[in-house]
Amino acid sequence: METTLKVENVTKRYGDFVAVNNISFEVKAGRIFGFLGPNGAGKTTTIRMIVNITAPDEGEISLFGDKISPQVQDKIGYLPEERGLYKKMKIAEQLRYFAALKGISSKIADQRIDFWLDRIGLSEWKLKKANDLSKGMQQKIQFISAVIHEPDLIILDEPFSGLDPVNVETLIEIIAELKAKGKTIIFSTHLMETAERLCDDIILINKSRKVLGGTLREVKESFEKNMISLRCFGGDKILEDKCFVAELRKHADEVELTLAENADPQELLKELLLNGAKVTKFELVEPSLNDIFIDKVKEKNA
Amino acid sequence: MRKFFAVFKREYFKIVKSWSFLLGTLLVPIIASMFAIIPALLFSLNGDAVRLIIVDQSGTVSTRVKTNLSPEKLAEKAKLAAEDSLKNITQGQKAQLENSAEQFGGNFAFEDFDFQNRQIEDIRTELNERIKKDKLDAYLIIPQNIDGKDIKVELFARNTSDIITKKMLEEAVNTAFRNQRLAKANIDEAKLEQINRKVDFVTTKVSEKGEELDSDMGFFVAFAVALMMYLVLTIYGQAIMAAVIEEKETRIAEVLFSSAKPFQILIGKLVGVGMAGLTQLTVWLTSAALIAAYGLAVSKASGFAMQLPSISPLFIVYFALFFILGFFSFAAIFALIGSIAPTLQEAGQFALIPVLFMLGGFYAMFPITRDPNSTLSVILSIIPFASPMTMPTRIITETPPFWQIGLAILFNLIAIAFFVWIASRVYRIGMLMYGKRATIPEIWKWIWQA
Repeated sequence: METTLKVENVTKRYGDFVAVNNISFEVKAGRIFGFLGPNGAGKTTTIRMIVNITAPDEGEISLFGDKISPQVQDKIGYLPEERGLYKKMKIAEQLRYFAALKGISSKIADQRIDFWLDRIGLSEWKLKKANDLSKGMQQKIQFISAVIHEPDLIILDEPFSGLDPVNVETLIEIIAELKAKGKTIIFSTHLMETAERLCDDIILINKSRKVLGGTLREVKESFEKNMISLRCFGGDKILEDKCFVAELRKHADEVELTLAENADPQELLKELLLNGAKVTKFELVEPSLNDIFIDKVKEKNA
Repeated sequence: MRKFFAVFKREYFKIVKSWSFLLGTLLVPIIASMFAIIPALLFSLNGDAVRLIIVDQSGTVSTRVKTNLSPEKLAEKAKLAAEDSLKNITQGQKAQLENSAEQFGGNFAFEDFDFQNRQIEDIRTELNERIKKDKLDAYLIIPQNIDGKDIKVELFARNTSDIITKKMLEEAVNTAFRNQRLAKANIDEAKLEQINRKVDFVTTKVSEKGEELDSDMGFFVAFAVALMMYLVLTIYGQAIMAAVIEEKETRIAEVLFSSAKPFQILIGKLVGVGMAGLTQLTVWLTSAALIAAYGLAVSKASGFAMQLPSISPLFIVYFALFFILGFFSFAAIFALIGSIAPTLQEAGQFALIPVLFMLGGFYAMFPITRDPNSTLSVILSIIPFASPMTMPTRIITETPPFWQIGLAILFNLIAIAFFVWIASRVYRIGMLMYGKRATIPEIWKWIWQA
């Protein structure tokens, strides 16, 4: 698989503050890459270095196998976290301008503007000024400005923040469509469920350092399956035994439990049955990305 | 280059296509032409005639007063005044106004009144009554004795605040008195005319090109040139600042910076806005030339010739050049302020500094037109930030040696290179700093930051 982006040992400092500390990762072509981390972890700083707004103090970033250059920059589409539109400029004009900055002629831009406005359902707003649009609408227009030049690499910084659930779904659909066209997509978010649905690969950073990374599968499998989803009648004594169960969470008609250290799930099931419990569900659950995220961030901060 | 051009195009057309640009571009010449045309129009208008009675107790001056106030005499005087005021445009605006007002002021209707053998109090009572009934506007009382000291002529009128009419009457009476006294001293009318004849005052400018007839319009043109420069620099310098702040406030800067180098964007912005300013200047200058040509034609047709100062094509080139130099040096400063300040309001306070500089350059025009070759004038016309306004003033009043013009251009270029460099360094970082104003040490760091 081709490598679209390679970040090697990159460090960025602002005075005494280290914003990004020796981070390395690769993004393969045609995949969706989730860039995860709590607020202030260094996500935006890293992304700004990738799109050549700032330069790293140490380390190397290469895109499509090359160092960053104006030609390479035209192959990137970027939706920043802090984003906006010219208030008094018509939507079509703004998009034409952003396209021109990426080297797209206004004729081609016009076709694409029509296509995209239609795709996100804002065609009738084409000749309106940005001021007349709601925040959510403006955000969708900003998304168009990131993809209007059909870049090979699309970088979206917190693309879902501020969108209503319907628009979040639309955007997820579009991201999937772009992936199907062979585009590489990097997005940062702290919506773990969305990341889990969309990402092929992830990196988790916290306090300017990389915490973990890899394909979603690898990451999940590297975590021990020590959670059990259980539905049973009786055997309460066993569930309260600290040798087996570290934590117990009761839901409506089932319980979720975390195994105690070194406890064997098979032993637990055996004990339950021996004590006359009637077990209708016993499932080893893989941790959600959210669990991993919280677990890892807490561990680091501790 | 392609990206620079995209920015340039947007910035240029954003301004040129705006309503305010259209309004400013058209309104200024219209207002200017109004100043040229309206007095001429008013000249042909007359108010209601002032109904006047002259109670001439001496019995000798009233004929002369009447002649002095006759339409022919007034028109002749107005023409002389107009020629004078055009020659001496330097005099205060108030005086100018009075002069031009005088051109369309008076118009008198004399009413007969038999006052023989009547007491003065009696006359006054009757005439006051007439004024109250609106049958009369004013009356003059001229004493019997016109030769002695401390002679008083009294004017009684309904409207005593009409200073123009008052002044005209005063002049007419004084002239009449003087002429009557001279006539009494056995000087005949022909001699009188000869004595009163005005001399013509001719100014000739001496320059390297030799003698050149000057109409004293040089100052007027220099003033107009400096004023236009000041206006356009202020308007477009602040336009740059507003454009920079807008991109910061709306958070567009980050998208722009991911598409093109901040330097390309800044330069595209400066050139785009600068060209819009130059477009407006071109329209203004062209219409000024047309209005001047029209004014010249009108003045010729109405009988008194007016000389326009000669403006060489070379001056136009210099003017455009110094506009561009001035624009870029000030625009860089305004862009710098825009990158540092978080909001337009805060930027407005900082903007006072360059605006004061411009104002200084504008006022420097006055000592320079007085003495274009003094050391002060030479220094003021060479230093950057002042020279874009002062050098064209000097060139039009008395073209300085070329080395001084060259030096001014060179210093401006150095200043532009320096300030554009600083502005672009600060711009690329300041634009991504939201919400707070940068401190001086921070700005210093940004300049050197990779």
